Amino acid sequence: MDFAPTREQEMLRDMVRAFAESELAPNALSFDEKGEFPFEALKKAAKLGLVGIINSKEYGGSDMGHLARMIMIEEISRVYPPLGFYFQTGQIGMYGLQNFGSDEQKKKYLPPLCQGDTVMAWALTEATGGSDASTLQTTAELVGDEYNVNGRKVFITAGETADVVGFVAKAGDGTNLLLVEKGTPGFTTPRREGRLGLGSIPVSELAFTNCRIPKENLVGQEGRGVRLALAGIGAVGRPGAAAVSLGIAQGAYEVTLRFAKERNLYGKPIVQLQAVQFALVNMNVEIEAARWLCYYTGWLLDQGKSPGEIGSDIARAKLYATDVANKVCLKAAEIMGGYGLIPEYQLVRRLRDALEMLPAAGAQDVQRVIIGGAIAR
Amino acid sequence: MSLNIIVCIKQVPHPEHFSRITLDPIRQTISREGIPAVINPPDLHALEEALRIREEFSGKVTAISMGPPQAKCALEEALAIGADDAVLLCDKSFAGADTLATAYSLACGIKKLGRFGLILCGNETIDSGTGQVGPQLAEFLDIPHVTSVIQIAFEQGSSLIVKQALEEGYMKVRVKLPAMLAVAKGINQPRLPTVWAIMEAGSKEMQIWGASDIGATQDMIGLEGSPTHVTGIFERDTTRRREILEGPPRQIAKKAVNRLHELITT
Amino acid sequence: MNEVWVIAEQRVGKLMNVSFELLGKGTELARQLKVGLAAVLLGDRVRALTRQLVCYGADRVYVGEDPRLRFYQSEVYADLVAKLVDTHKPGIVLIGATSIGRDLAPRIAAKLKTGLTAHCVELRIVNEDTEKPQLVQVVPGWGGNLMVNIACPVRRPQIATVSPGVMTKCDWEEREGEIITLAVDVQQELRVETLEMVHEESTGAALEEAEVVVAGGWGLLSAGGFELVEELAKVLGGAVAGTRPAVDSGWIPEHRMVGQSGKTVSPKLFISVGASGAPQFTAGFLKAKVVLAIDQNPNAPIFDVADIGLVGDLCDILPCLVTELKETGLRS
Repeated sequence: MDFAPTREQEMLRDMVRAFAESELAPNALSFDEKGEFPFEALKKAAKLGLVGIINSKEYGGSDMGHLARMIMIEEISRVYPPLGFYFQTGQIGMYGLQNFGSDEQKKKYLPPLCQGDTVMAWALTEATGGSDASTLQTTAELVGDEYNVNGRKVFITAGETADVVGFVAKAGDGTNLLLVEKGTPGFTTPRREGRLGLGSIPVSELAFTNCRIPKENLVGQEGRGVRLALAGIGAVGRPGAAAVSLGIAQGAYEVTLRFAKERNLYGKPIVQLQAVQFALVNMNVEIEAARWLCYYTGWLLDQGKSPGEIGSDIARAKLYATDVANKVCLKAAEIMGGYGLIPEYQLVRRLRDALEMLPAAGAQDVQRVIIGGAIAR
Repeated sequence: MSLNIIVCIKQVPHPEHFSRITLDPIRQTISREGIPAVINPPDLHALEEALRIREEFSGKVTAISMGPPQAKCALEEALAIGADDAVLLCDKSFAGADTLATAYSLACGIKKLGRFGLILCGNETIDSGTGQVGPQLAEFLDIPHVTSVIQIAFEQGSSLIVKQALEEGYMKVRVKLPAMLAVAKGINQPRLPTVWAIMEAGSKEMQIWGASDIGATQDMIGLEGSPTHVTGIFERDTTRRREILEGPPRQIAKKAVNRLHELITT
Repeated sequence: MNEVWVIAEQRVGKLMNVSFELLGKGTELARQLKVGLAAVLLGDRVRALTRQLVCYGADRVYVGEDPRLRFYQSEVYADLVAKLVDTHKPGIVLIGATSIGRDLAPRIAAKLKTGLTAHCVELRIVNEDTEKPQLVQVVPGWGGNLMVNIACPVRRPQIATVSPGVMTKCDWEEREGEIITLAVDVQQELRVETLEMVHEESTGAALEEAEVVVAGGWGLLSAGGFELVEELAKVLGGAVAGTRPAVDSGWIPEHRMVGQSGKTVSPKLFISVGASGAPQFTAGFLKAKVVLAIDQNPNAPIFDVADIGLVGDLCDILPCLVTELKETGLRS
């Protein structure tokens, strides 16, 4: 087993870190406070090859793979988690297109997405449930050459700004994975919901009212919608969420460590007080453990394992990294005292973002269901 | 018009970690153990400028560095950013070189590379900050040089009009190619390597040359070829002095200004 | 032979201050070595300036004039100086580390295959009574955390550049000196030629690049405002900054806030005015070379992280500081 990062992986990390520090760090607080998602930075990230990192070069991607993607999302989330979170959902659709889409669909949608000229959203969740896909209510009825879509999706990241949305609807006896473009008559993004964390990400409902989409917008085979969706969530959404949580934990840890080295109490920096130091040590250990669970997941995917084969590994990464992120942020707030809860200390936003990761890509207990299912058999 | 451009880069300790560089006062040696290394930031501006010129005029950009084996990483990064190929001048006998010996070694390496139109480097390094290697390199190669360059424009034929920064303003300078230009920070915004370029860097050519490969004579390189030597290194006392002055405002203002002058200029 | 030389610098007919400062140091070194002090001056119609060089300490001035040397011409200047040095063989050559000096000095050193040490903060002679006295050249290393002593034991001359503001010029003394005219005739086509020199007022430096930063805090509220801070910054040629309360009061924009959630600065001089010294503020200037704090509360924590502290009413102290600085001139 060779655990050493390759030169390319090191250079990737350095590049994404430099990108995050220069494009995201200076305005992280104000992105959240003003609710302004850094779409400009997203576009620059695309030009650097980060958006299409798991897409093939043939369609404009950079094809560096899933482990590279984990590193990238970690580094971005270390500085500004909402952008990392965007990658988590935005790349699900791109994975779906890459692996299940037709040649025409790939040629049409992937290059502009990889260049950052367009943005894609992913819509599975409905009011009746996200984790239980059998409760889908949105329908897509084939009428001639078109699907007539009716229904509503909730908690959709970038739903109102996306140029194209990948979504799942009931069709006949099964479900279909379909694409709808912005501006299609009958497709609206009626309400933007407020949230606790991931501050600047535009989140909305999607409403389909007799929305007609061409049948060419079916991705993959008829009836396979939910299975393809779960593959995408498994390969991209869930590992991505794990990497976001990892980045949040790392960022919060660094903020607290720096504070502990500068803050003097009882005649010395508090990092020299054993209780504080041990708390930081615990963070250090847990983040490192989370890191390897995350990277292992990426590595397995790069080895060609299907998300179904490695469901437990993926679930472990999301479950553990997210728990660690929340623990770290809470403890960090304790260590930093009153300052920990002042926004300008850059911890509060991370604490909020960590909470948002709990339901993302499957609630924590859903991850347990997956692993439990495997061990209890 | 196609131009062969050579960019001189140096690998230096990451500036954020300077305070971790330790001194062994007895053996008088610096320890850079465990401190990450980066491309000297001003050299990134030189590389960026070279790439822009190549984009406009076509040609080749070669990155060259004199350093220990780990300097390979800096050259790999230069390749990932966009250089076409790279050369590392690496030899035990290069060690201990001051700027003159370094300039001589680089000149030998550059001569081996063949014809070039332009050499670019950063105006100074962030670790030693002398700014001397560029002009000295130009002297060994018998080409004109300009330092503190903040803008480069091509005239027709093979000459450039450059802006050389002064403390308040600039000089407009015409320089004939081949020439050496040392560029200052304000000249451009260096690009980051893209994922595509990072993955291609490994397949670009990187050569490693020793002293005999480049025809460098022993008495001109390394410690032997260095007219200047370090004779002692001391830690600077960085604790704050806490000299509190109270009293009539005029008096303490006067004392403060005198003290400031002393403290700032040491 | 073995003299101390200063390569003086003039721009558009005006001598740079650093040349006088180096003559001041040169006088001291020459006295120790019991040798003469000479200056070299190049330009177009600059003869009248040689008087100043003599009255600030030069025993002799070599002056070279040519219409084509009106501006700094790197190849010609380097050639002339190197040949002159090679002929007369001074032991020490000092050059001001201005943008021009930093362009010229390395080329000269390379022509003479001798040692050059840049940005010296201290120069002293050792082994002065021996056959080969040494100039010890002290420079800051690694961002200023370490001081390095450098020597050029064998080759001559020993060349050192020194930044403006480091050395002190002597008092003006009416004296006579030897003026030697160099034969200069610039006929050749120049490979590198300065065509024009353009003066521009330096626009307010970015906070992180400024050599002097003056930051104001809450205490200015009762002092009637930020003008005191701005004036102090102006007289020092420094950048204006502030604490979070200063931003909240609208005195400075967000991007001029220093501190943990603002900018981190490492200037040569950081002045804190009316800020009590909360950790989120002081974290922003830990690496400043010198810290001056002014506050009315003698127990304010800001004084723990300052080199010099002034206690008293801001309204009284600041104007005095400004006046004193105007009179003595502490521009870096």
